[in-house]
Amino acid sequence: MDHVIEVAGLAKGYRSREVLHGIDFEVPRGQVFGMIGPNGAGKTTVMRCLLDIIRPSAGRVSVLGAEPRRAGPDIRRRIGYLPGELILEGRTTGRRLLRHFADISGPVAPGRIDELAERLGIDLDRQTRRLSKGNKQKLGIIQAFMHDPELLILDEPTSGLDPLMQQEFLRLVQEVRDAGRTVFLSSHVISEIQQAADTVAILRAGRIATVSTVAALRDTAVSRLRVQTHLSPDRTGALLAALPGLGNLRLETVHDAGGSPVCQASAEWTGPVADLVDVLPRLHPVDLALEEPDLEEAVLALYRDPGGDAADGRSEGVAS
Amino acid sequence: MSTTAMHRQGAQRRARLPLLGKALLDARFSLGTWAVAMLAVMCLYLPLFPAIGGNDQMQQMIKALPAQLVNALNYGQIASGSGYTQATVFGLLGFLLMTIMAVSAGAGAIGGDEESGLLELTIAHGVTRTQVVLERAAALVFRVVVLHAFILVVLLVLKGPSDLGFDAAHAAAGVLTFALLVLLNGSFALLGGAIGGRKVHGIAAGAGVAVLGYAFNALGNQNPNLEWMHAVSPYYWAYGDSPLLNGVDAPAALLLLGVSALCIALAVAALHRRDIHGV
Repeated sequence: MDHVIEVAGLAKGYRSREVLHGIDFEVPRGQVFGMIGPNGAGKTTVMRCLLDIIRPSAGRVSVLGAEPRRAGPDIRRRIGYLPGELILEGRTTGRRLLRHFADISGPVAPGRIDELAERLGIDLDRQTRRLSKGNKQKLGIIQAFMHDPELLILDEPTSGLDPLMQQEFLRLVQEVRDAGRTVFLSSHVISEIQQAADTVAILRAGRIATVSTVAALRDTAVSRLRVQTHLSPDRTGALLAALPGLGNLRLETVHDAGGSPVCQASAEWTGPVADLVDVLPRLHPVDLALEEPDLEEAVLALYRDPGGDAADGRSEGVAS
Repeated sequence: MSTTAMHRQGAQRRARLPLLGKALLDARFSLGTWAVAMLAVMCLYLPLFPAIGGNDQMQQMIKALPAQLVNALNYGQIASGSGYTQATVFGLLGFLLMTIMAVSAGAGAIGGDEESGLLELTIAHGVTRTQVVLERAAALVFRVVVLHAFILVVLLVLKGPSDLGFDAAHAAAGVLTFALLVLLNGSFALLGGAIGGRKVHGIAAGAGVAVLGYAFNALGNQNPNLEWMHAVSPYYWAYGDSPLLNGVDAPAALLLLGVSALCIALAVAALHRRDIHGV
């Protein structure tokens, strides 16, 4: 497969401390690839290595077929980058700032800047120093998208955006993906990424814990099951406990809308849903809820996972 | 969206020297301020020459001062128009102002930009690090050239009425040497920022070179045993041969220019070798 980004054995240390301990991943062309991890996991460090802002201590990196350090400016014109800590010059307007970046990395299609500004709802003629964090972030998004780059590298792109703008941003990502562009984005929460990304890499303490599709991640995720039945708690417990995909079963007696007592079983469900459907008729449920799998919890479990050298995870500040 | 067709209709093209253009645009206000400051200094000092330099009482007062003090302040030649201009404007207050201008511009060019977090996004765009250093060094050169062109104009206007007694060619020689000295201080500041990645490193380097150069010149003037200090003083390289009186000392001018060029080349190399730090 054609990979836009190839990373093998990437390690990066600052003085005495190593932030990345040799990571490998590939981003196929035309995909939205998400990288999630807690603060300090090394997401920003990975992205800075891809753009030759910092140099790897070891390993091999290839972006759009070239090693970032040897690649000329032409390669970076084919990339749109949004830094995690976006700093914009204060004594200028959004429009002048964007024109400057277009001067460097253009050409930018006529009207493209205004179109993006309108979609994100930002006034380009205001002084940048007077803009809120969210509005600065919008300028950052525009400068990354405006020259229609083949590859977008976006570090925590929704940070500071309100939920409405987050949705607009995700639509923007979908559009460029549909146009064949590749997007590599990071976040510390899965909910931002699960809508947009095809593949997710989970970075924990400078190592890749998992690379998986969002669908596969969802399969490993825990759903919450709640059943109410007129059967006795013992009988209900016996029927449910036989299911292998069930965990943390809790039984209690509650009252239904009419005030009559019912047995309520709550549990976590990770098995195939067919197993559950087989058992349900025998339970004679009066109420049933199987909630959407909670990816957040699945990811949190991976954050904490085996060999959890939690101390490394606390290295915030240098590279988040 | 499909952009290929739009490009043909005249999309915004890349600029030839985008960073230089931006730096100059940003500098236009501060350039005006520095020009006004220089104008004030020159209008304050130069018209007073007939009353001070040519005045017998002043001469006697200077003779009464300790020789070391006179040497340190370069007041030995103050009786001549060129010596007076040299001692007051080129050698002291003007030197101070223009050095502050060049050192702060040089320190901000890479170090200040990096420290504030702006450089990260700039170099992620379609530029090389070499280009960043060279265009910003060019902006520094441009600032120095514009301000010294202005200084030359003011000097040519004032020299007649103030009875300074040197011709236009010597005025130009003096201003050129002054400009080269200021550029050297600014280039060290740019180099310091490019190595250290912070504005304060650039200021330390630029101001350090300026102050040491001035001090070595003053000490070298004091005592024949300390004359070796002249050899390592850019201030002496520039002014040791009194360019307002004797014209441009070509080897000295080339030395000043060469050291500045070396600083900028080293800044390119330094920035290529290291990580760019974000905030």
